[in-house]
Amino acid sequence: MSSLYDRLGGEGAVNAAVELFYRKVLADGRIAHFFDDVDMESQIAKQKAFLTMAFGGPNAYTGADMRNAHKRLVEKGLNDSHVDAVIENLNYTLRDLGVPETEVKEVAALANSVRDDVLNR
Amino acid sequence: MTQITYEGRTVDIAPGETVLEALLRAGVNAPYSCRAGNCHSCLHRAIDGAPPPQSQSGLTDAQKSMGFFLPCICRPMSPLTILRPDDLGASLEAIVRAIDPLSEDIVRLRIEADGFAYRPGQFVELSAGEDLKRHYSLASHPEEDAFLEMHIRLHHDGRMSRHLADKLQAGDRLRVAGPSGSCFYEGVHADQPMLLIGAGTGLAPLYGVLRDALRSGHRGPIRLYHGARSRKGLYLSDELRAISKARDNVDYRPCAFDPSAPHGGDVAATALDAEQNVAHAAIFLCGGENLVKRLKRDLFMRGASLKNIRSDAFTPAR
Repeated sequence: MSSLYDRLGGEGAVNAAVELFYRKVLADGRIAHFFDDVDMESQIAKQKAFLTMAFGGPNAYTGADMRNAHKRLVEKGLNDSHVDAVIENLNYTLRDLGVPETEVKEVAALANSVRDDVLNR
Repeated sequence: MTQITYEGRTVDIAPGETVLEALLRAGVNAPYSCRAGNCHSCLHRAIDGAPPPQSQSGLTDAQKSMGFFLPCICRPMSPLTILRPDDLGASLEAIVRAIDPLSEDIVRLRIEADGFAYRPGQFVELSAGEDLKRHYSLASHPEEDAFLEMHIRLHHDGRMSRHLADKLQAGDRLRVAGPSGSCFYEGVHADQPMLLIGAGTGLAPLYGVLRDALRSGHRGPIRLYHGARSRKGLYLSDELRAISKARDNVDYRPCAFDPSAPHGGDVAATALDAEQNVAHAAIFLCGGENLVKRLKRDLFMRGASLKNIRSDAFTPAR
């Protein structure tokens, strides 16, 4: 069987999803404030890197990278409820794009797999 | 084996090695994160030599044309000289040609700098002394004008402002570095609607972009919104009205603060109200940081793609 990344449509699928996902995140009052002071261009590149990872695509992230990248946000109060909100927005994005439920669950599981590193614990 | 030149030093690149790996091995504290060409944390610019096209994957057309590339996925076959993304490189000597008023507190500075290549709408670093440097956007066109043109607001207490207003004269020498900035006519389709929104001297790059678009034969509708604190601040309005009259596809919409005007004459509110359908527009935003940030976010939320939004936010001198 082909990989999750290939089944989803590879880089094209990431490109189709990334702006839709970022709009949902910015419109979500639970997490939008974490993005207030961030440059939108650099943020969307990071969102793309995150989606590539969650779609099972090529990435070289290490646990340490994830920890460093989110350290400042954890100090600002980032917790499980915010990670839940991000994964929820990711699920809605994929459903909007017509991705089947099996794949939606696989993506959510991959995103969830970095939770402890993101939350620095 | 090939080499890269970075901040005056030469670093060898082993076969199969990436530029990022070589920089890190050489002890350069280069930023990076995903190491897969996605996050853009390691972005650099090549000013000599051509980075392989695959190392520019995911960048905008403007970035590609300026030599930006991603070191983490760049395996060069030939030598490259690279700069950090915010490094404007070496400066050139320039001669002041003219300083003329455009409004009560805005002047037009024209300087001549031989061999200075740029795109209208990009910005340069102008230096009038070792500790007197400012960024200004270019309203001129390299194929039409023999000078670089900048629009500069004079601030009462500004050091560069005082230097310009009190000391600088035609024939004086300055130094100019750059150009930089991706706010120029690149990656736009000839039939695409263009939306140019700016305030104050944010008109300079937009004026450059407008002239470049028309010169390039742009056919799609172009709407230019210019905001000012008062009607007197709507400089170049005669020229813009004339262009708008001569060209069917150009619409100039000046907005000056005025309690009786729609939206109080606020340019952002006026443009956002009029522009409901922005999903396919090529957008250029220039002005103060707050204005640019607000417009970028609101236009993105209503469907504009970030890769279609080029912006240049002015930050006050430190």
